[in-house]
Amino acid sequence: MNKQKILIVDDSEMNRSLLIEILEDQYDVTEVNNGIEAITLLSRHRSEFSLLLLDIMMPEMDGFEVLTYINKYHWNDGLAVIMISADDSPENIKRAYDLGAFDYISRPFDATIVHRRISNTMFLYARQRYLEKIITEQFYEQEKNNKLMISVLSHIVEFRNGESGLHVIHVNTITELLLKCLVRRTDRYTLSKADITLISNASSLHDIGKISIADTILNKPGRLTPEEFEVIKTHSAIGSEILLELPLEQKESPLVKVAAEICRWHHERYDGKGYPDGLKGEEIPISAQVVALADVYDALTSKRCYKDAYSHEEALKMILEGKCGAFNPILLECLQEIADTLETELKNTSSEQETKNIQDIRNKIDYDRLFSYEKYTSLSRKQRNLQLLYVDSLTNVHNRRYYDEHFQDIEDIEAIVVIDVDNFKHINDSYGHDVGDIVLQRVAKAILSCVRKTDAVIRYGGDEFVIVFHTIPADVFKKKLEIIRSCIDMLVIEEYPKIHVSVSVGGAYGMGKIKELFKVADSAMYEAKTVKNKVAMRFLIEEANNI
Amino acid sequence: MMDLKDCYTKFGGDYDEVLGRLQRERIVEKFVYKFLDDKSFELLETSIKNEDYGEALRAVHTIKGICQNLSFTKLYEISNLMTKTLKENDYQKAVDMMPQLTDDYYKIIHTVQEYKQSKEG
Repeated sequence: MNKQKILIVDDSEMNRSLLIEILEDQYDVTEVNNGIEAITLLSRHRSEFSLLLLDIMMPEMDGFEVLTYINKYHWNDGLAVIMISADDSPENIKRAYDLGAFDYISRPFDATIVHRRISNTMFLYARQRYLEKIITEQFYEQEKNNKLMISVLSHIVEFRNGESGLHVIHVNTITELLLKCLVRRTDRYTLSKADITLISNASSLHDIGKISIADTILNKPGRLTPEEFEVIKTHSAIGSEILLELPLEQKESPLVKVAAEICRWHHERYDGKGYPDGLKGEEIPISAQVVALADVYDALTSKRCYKDAYSHEEALKMILEGKCGAFNPILLECLQEIADTLETELKNTSSEQETKNIQDIRNKIDYDRLFSYEKYTSLSRKQRNLQLLYVDSLTNVHNRRYYDEHFQDIEDIEAIVVIDVDNFKHINDSYGHDVGDIVLQRVAKAILSCVRKTDAVIRYGGDEFVIVFHTIPADVFKKKLEIIRSCIDMLVIEEYPKIHVSVSVGGAYGMGKIKELFKVADSAMYEAKTVKNKVAMRFLIEEANNI
Repeated sequence: MMDLKDCYTKFGGDYDEVLGRLQRERIVEKFVYKFLDDKSFELLETSIKNEDYGEALRAVHTIKGICQNLSFTKLYEISNLMTKTLKENDYQKAVDMMPQLTDDYYKIIHTVQEYKQSKEG
């Protein structure tokens, strides 16, 4: 097994060699003689070190300043800091603890005590990592089971209904997108991230009341008689009654409460013309308002026993024109805002499961930042393989193989963008490849933050990135490229504040073979490159040029 | 022939204490030899001469630390005192301590040199 690495920071050579003498049999020891050297080394290689032995009194940058820096950037999440205290002044020791030191060793060094303090600290940190790992696993396991139970329940209803089970998944997705958009647009409703997840999960249960509706009515292919329609309408009240008859402690759980709200009121309308209670406006809980809209949109765009599917555009038009009843105006704005994301998202849930898997990996990565524990443990084996195959290990965006295998012969791409980092060779030559790597990571992250989940970001080669947009309105495309350019232009790399990063961006817009689009985008990028930090675009369709 | 313990007795140190902490005579000897090459004392002398008391404090503080680690009791006491005095900005008093400190320092240096020669002899 590899020895654990310790970094000693002390200006006294004698002290350092004494500690090395004591520790070198058991640990891999590195030494530096002041705070600045320590920070420089840690900024690049901190993940290699398990423990830092830090002197207080040093020239250039003293131990307290080093501690403050480490604490500020949370480096001590994975790195234990033990102070070396020269004089046993309680003031200094207290201050060090306040600044995030884990323990201290006082001079004169006693070999046994030094050993014990260090091995105990290492043990505690290892134990903490181990516990984090267990909790992470349990957390995912529980989440998975919860979702599984809910989807089993809701599928029972749909199964009886003769539907594919996609409706529940769709309503879930649309609800989440609408809520996220809603909180961006207004603070009228206080919804935390957890609330959004809760409502989306609970949305799966919106139709459970249908379990009590007779087959003959529920699956009747033709038009319903007014009497039959009245029977159908009872499903919303029945659904909430089923939930509210649960034992008290379950009934009180947030999930059940929200689900009961949604069940009862997801057919209410903003103007009071819905059922069963005829609630009006904000009398209807926001959860039920959102699910109602999601339900209507998906019902329109899906094929049912009594009707064909409408296209995305038709459905949107019908809803906005009020053909399906009145909705909260702000929710209608949200629906329009998420319209194109919605169209592609829903396509994904049905046919392109693999693409979704890869997107899941990206989501998981963010999710895992919750814990400092290593990234990919919770991925299924298949996802892990896809991860290895199609994700660039340095930047976490897709790799060239993904592009070659998924896009090479595709024809229905609307736009493609080629991005090249300006003066990248210069950064590599003057700061070293480590820094070059950091720059690439930041650029990738910046690009990702500017695009939608459904757009594919690829590291095409060295310092060249490609973005593939399946669909995107031309005016949004224009703005987006400028946003990406300026987002990177403003990038500050905290460890190297002197580096200024910029990119040259080439975009090609218009339906065509991806190979042709790529060529056009690539040559636009070269045109931009003559100026640098610039966007150049070509539109292959006439009308788009006039926007 | 003089052994390491005799050295400690001669220049005023606590051999049993240092051996208890560092556990092996080889290590104690290695670091006692290292003390011969340490430049902190020269740094202290120059900075006192240049009236650079900030630098002097750092130097004497380092000496103090080394003495602590090697159980050089006598030199520790005077360097500890001088560290405190400099921290209190009482420069004249600190300068007055230099002869005593110099004395104790060379006592160690000469004894260790003698020991080293007799051993290599």
